[in-house]
Amino acid sequence: MKKKITASQKRIMMNPFIQFFRFLALNIKILMVVALGHGSTRTKN
Amino acid sequence: MSKIVVLGAGIAGHTAATHLRRKLSKEHEIIVVSPNRNYQWVPSNIWVGIGRMNPKDVIFPLEPLYKKSRIEYKQAKVSIFWPEGDLKSRKPFVEIEYVFGEKKGTKEKVEYDFLINATGPKLAFDQTEGLNPGTNKAYSVCTYDHAIHAAEGLKKVMKQAKTATEKINILIGTGHPKATCQGAAFEYILNVENEIRKAGLRDKFNITWISNEYELGDFGMDGMLLSYGNEQLSSKELIEMVFEDRGIDWILGAGVTKIDEGLCTYENLEGETKTISFDFAMLIPAFSGHGFKAFSQNGNDITEKLFKGFMIVDADYTPKPYEEWRVQDWPETYQNPSYKNIFAPGIAFAPPHAISKPRKSPNGRDIFPSPPRTGMPSGITAKLVADNIIHMIKNNTDEIHHRGSLGNMGAACVASAGFGFTKGSAIAITTFPIVPDYQKYPETHGRDIKKTFGEMGLAGHWVKHSLHHAFLWKAKMKPFWYLIPE
Repeated sequence: MKKKITASQKRIMMNPFIQFFRFLALNIKILMVVALGHGSTRTKN
Repeated sequence: MSKIVVLGAGIAGHTAATHLRRKLSKEHEIIVVSPNRNYQWVPSNIWVGIGRMNPKDVIFPLEPLYKKSRIEYKQAKVSIFWPEGDLKSRKPFVEIEYVFGEKKGTKEKVEYDFLINATGPKLAFDQTEGLNPGTNKAYSVCTYDHAIHAAEGLKKVMKQAKTATEKINILIGTGHPKATCQGAAFEYILNVENEIRKAGLRDKFNITWISNEYELGDFGMDGMLLSYGNEQLSSKELIEMVFEDRGIDWILGAGVTKIDEGLCTYENLEGETKTISFDFAMLIPAFSGHGFKAFSQNGNDITEKLFKGFMIVDADYTPKPYEEWRVQDWPETYQNPSYKNIFAPGIAFAPPHAISKPRKSPNGRDIFPSPPRTGMPSGITAKLVADNIIHMIKNNTDEIHHRGSLGNMGAACVASAGFGFTKGSAIAITTFPIVPDYQKYPETHGRDIKKTFGEMGLAGHWVKHSLHHAFLWKAKMKPFWYLIPE
């Protein structure tokens, strides 16, 4: 069954108060993925 | 003293040049050769394309910044590579031709000790018949000037819609059977839909996504399995959910072959030739190499030692079927194997193969996305190339110190879904690694599920807007710019 975005999910997605905290968390999560290094796939590093 | 020549001043070239300048003493010469007068923050072109940003918000002139930072700048295009020098000079050089100012049309030889080829892609509109931005009702948002025309075109159809009796058709997606950069088209379609909805005209429009992807959410990366809230969701399900919510139709496995005035012809994976009419289209063209030539010292053509469309680097280019592709095929130093002082970060390097599974129509036409290397990976690979050159110069060694494969690197794509401080939204997707490693992560479609997630909402828009300002701050080399990661 296809997933749908429900009305309550939409309200959360567009609520500035909730989204402010999501904004802080999202920045940290993105930073953890992109800024915590990269390396080789051929050698151990 | 070393002389480092950087070809291109986009995300990769500019990143490499600024890091080299910061970390190398002034006795070392950094020269940037680019035909472009301005730096442009390409990810924000989407907002220029809907008229929510002005071009001046996404660009700044390179010359004053480079002058201030003691980076030599030549507004010119490169044509020929002489990696061994010629019979007159043993020092390697590139032939350039100025494209602006008093020197316009003048050719010059620029010698180097190290060469960074960050020329990015050629926007190959010519590979799709009739696809030329601003003509045949089809537009592009690949550059800021293309995006200006797209915004004007969109404004025109929105005005037309107010009095139209029939629905207006909008078509957005990929304009070539092997085009890449689906992410940009995805952002654009959501922003266009949002603008139309905000104007109260949504019921006057049919909006259709057309793409060479086999499934929604492939993005040229073979799709993703994402953490989404407390559950796991495929990128296909996520994008399908968004399109359903926005009332956007989709056509998949479509290789666009021809654009006529308001008519798009495409071949699908069943081998059928079909058409769809439109009043406004934004189609991403194919990306190709620039067709550079290279010569040996005695004048023999050695183009195949340097180029395979894009520049050859330390990848495994052995042709093999999809089932045998390995993450280790992907390069990690971006160094040319024949000439160790030449590097190609960003989009300029030739990928070993696609990331998405290759598919052909029964007529033999390849219809699948080429691998994306834009944005974040461009910046990261450019910085690591700069760091390797710095290491080689400072330690007088040939040893490569920094490595970064797309198979061991994360990326974030914050796809704008609408503009506005309280009404905006975006879909933030991160992926680790960019190229799936099916051996390391066999259960989660080749990716680390803890670092591969999707999230939707207003916060994503704020992140995207913050990144716009942060990356322009960084590109302008304002105080502590180097603390902002690539």
